[in-house]
Amino acid sequence: MRLYRKEGNTIHILCFPNESVEKGDYLQVEDPKQNKTLLIQVIDIQFASIPGIMEELLRDSTNNGDIVCGESLDPLDVASQITLIQDARLVVCKIRGTIQNEKLSVCSTWLPSRSQSVIGKLSTTALAALLKINDKLPIYVGETKEFSPLKVDATALDGRLNIVTGKKETGKSHFSKLLVLSLIDHGAPVLVLDLNGEYAHLGYTSDGKKNQHYTKIHVLTPASNFKVMLSQTKLRVMLNILVHALNLPGTSAREFRRIWRFLKEHTKLSLHELGEAIRNWQCNHHVKDALFSRYYALVNSGFFTDDPSETITLEDCFQEIRTGGAFVVNLRDISFVDRQIVVEYLLGKLVEMLTGWKLKAVFLFAEEAHLYLRETYWNDIVTRMRHFGVFTTFVTNQPDNIRENIYRQADNIFLFNFTNDRDLDTVSRAAKVDSETVRSIARDLPPHYCLLLGRIVKNFPMVVKVRALNVQTMGQTRLFFN
Amino acid sequence: MLDESADSFAEPSQPKLKTIPLKPIRDETQITAVDVSSMKIGETDVGILCAIRAAIVWKQKHLYRYLRLGPFPFHITEENKNEVYHLFRQYSFLEQPTLDYTGGLSLIYAPTRLGALLERWLQMSIATQTSNSLILWDGSLTAGTQDAPVAVISQLLEIARNRSNIVLAFTKATRLRLLGYLLTDYVHKCTSPCLLEISGYPMTLSTAIHLLGDIYVAKLSGGSCSFRLDVDRKLPQEKAVEATRRLIGNDVLQQSYPETLRLAHIYSTFTANEVIGIQRFLVQAHKLRIVTRPNVRKLLFGPFGKGLEN
Repeated sequence: MRLYRKEGNTIHILCFPNESVEKGDYLQVEDPKQNKTLLIQVIDIQFASIPGIMEELLRDSTNNGDIVCGESLDPLDVASQITLIQDARLVVCKIRGTIQNEKLSVCSTWLPSRSQSVIGKLSTTALAALLKINDKLPIYVGETKEFSPLKVDATALDGRLNIVTGKKETGKSHFSKLLVLSLIDHGAPVLVLDLNGEYAHLGYTSDGKKNQHYTKIHVLTPASNFKVMLSQTKLRVMLNILVHALNLPGTSAREFRRIWRFLKEHTKLSLHELGEAIRNWQCNHHVKDALFSRYYALVNSGFFTDDPSETITLEDCFQEIRTGGAFVVNLRDISFVDRQIVVEYLLGKLVEMLTGWKLKAVFLFAEEAHLYLRETYWNDIVTRMRHFGVFTTFVTNQPDNIRENIYRQADNIFLFNFTNDRDLDTVSRAAKVDSETVRSIARDLPPHYCLLLGRIVKNFPMVVKVRALNVQTMGQTRLFFN
Repeated sequence: MLDESADSFAEPSQPKLKTIPLKPIRDETQITAVDVSSMKIGETDVGILCAIRAAIVWKQKHLYRYLRLGPFPFHITEENKNEVYHLFRQYSFLEQPTLDYTGGLSLIYAPTRLGALLERWLQMSIATQTSNSLILWDGSLTAGTQDAPVAVISQLLEIARNRSNIVLAFTKATRLRLLGYLLTDYVHKCTSPCLLEISGYPMTLSTAIHLLGDIYVAKLSGGSCSFRLDVDRKLPQEKAVEATRRLIGNDVLQQSYPETLRLAHIYSTFTANEVIGIQRFLVQAHKLRIVTRPNVRKLLFGPFGKGLEN
């Protein structure tokens, strides 16, 4: 391999086909005179621009037809060198940092010698060791290209905003399950908003037996084993549900606030009493109709109950998993409106618990959040709620449903394959890496290979083959032919 | 390739022109073409590096087949140039060389000279191994140069004739002029396919240079191109015309140029990539150090230094 050109932070390396290099690989350009090594990452591999190659290929392509055929007598085997030149590659790399005195820094203000530099590969394992990315609480995410295990540090997820994205069936849900289980193993409380019921069986092995996580995975199904009483609910949370999930107009909301306070003062805060109060409340009949329709929506959701034996409290739930565990809120098979009611309740309750220090922090995993999270919550989650201790991981196969500012603020991005340019454009807006890296590497990632970006890899993008999990991870997709 | 060694027919000749319309004969006659490329590919401290490649293409039953020979790289120095040259001559001519041509052999012209000798050897091989074929040469049937002695070319043509082969030599760009005009200009208004017969010119262009072929201008298909075509002078004119009719009946002609000969040229030519490959081969296999001489013209004249650098 030879150093050919440098433009900005892009380095071009010339290499022959027998020098195996793949996208995502790290190369070190060692300049013995300067006693420094430039660390670069391969983001694209092209054919070197060879003069006369077009003529040669056109000439040889006539062999493919039936009209012209023949053979070459080349006793010296000169053609092998010509073929080598034909297959010469131009490896496009991005500068990531400098190694000097066995220390890695992001400095890239120098230029190695073109004639003297020695170029070699740096294994992902060696890079991980240099970066010390698995020092404290290791999460075994998978294997590097060299088939050695890659571990990252769970603390890099702590207090961070994460995005797991990729097109369908590339393994992003599998990866988020791996993160959930690893966080649990490290004693973290996790809340999963499970849109498709995929996480409900994390406590079971793939052959249906209970696994070591069984006692730490709690599935909450709204209107079934997850019901709450109005008395457990703050007025602010209820108003959020009414206004944002059920679109209650402002005037009616003000009337509702009065009713709620009245019931609370008389310790009559129940679903039944709320219905009676609305019925008997002296107000405009349009307001009354609006309140009634929302009241019946609450009743019909089945999420609220007056029976104390049916209810659970989130405070008690999180107490159960204080040494690590997950609550999987199964949002499968419930309507869009009911889903929003549940999520409004949960997020409101979480903030309440966190502000009251009833909960230290929680890792929230939100699959396809655009399907249940209202617009205003996005900014809330990445800014205000993060400070309270809600550390969110968004999981989506539709990256354009997440706002640009979310990408810009994301601390970690776990990127799986995307082929669509628009999707790649969206993800490449993330501030943690240059857009060329995202576009080029993500486009060619095989299924179950993930490009790790951000703090988790100390901003040195790494490709990992995500390890398998012995848990029931598959989403239960209904099939017609099977 | 035979050089045209004169710019015009000697005066006071009175050449005559006659247009011969051609009708294709389709009889599956085998057409064989040969071409050789030679190229200087670099310099070392003590000599030059060159490479030669030959291609033989033959058309048989609607199929084109080719045999590519080479590339053969050479490191020619002042010390070994005689040895290399004699080796080539040994295999290229029927008779052992009696004259020492190597005294004046400049390294600059060595690739061309070696290429010409290889071409002669292949022409000989084809002439002796085929029969009832049309053999296409790149160049003319002008003889009398160091690498194309009259005796050798005559003998080549005779062997071909004896095996019922006919040699047709195409010159891509002729310099021959008749009454001040290029030969090929006389055929512009003729309807293709046709031959423009030129007769009445002397058989020698100088004391050394002899024309061993009858000279025609061939306009064998549509398009703006026409070529000087030399056909063995010892063949009757009817045979020459018939051979040309068989050529247009059995080969594809683009711009009046036979496809077989075009392919031979394409398969022998070196591309820039191949030059790099051969350079690499010599460096890797023979540990030769290629030197890059400073371009004196560029050094002296900067952007105005446009001449060739040897």
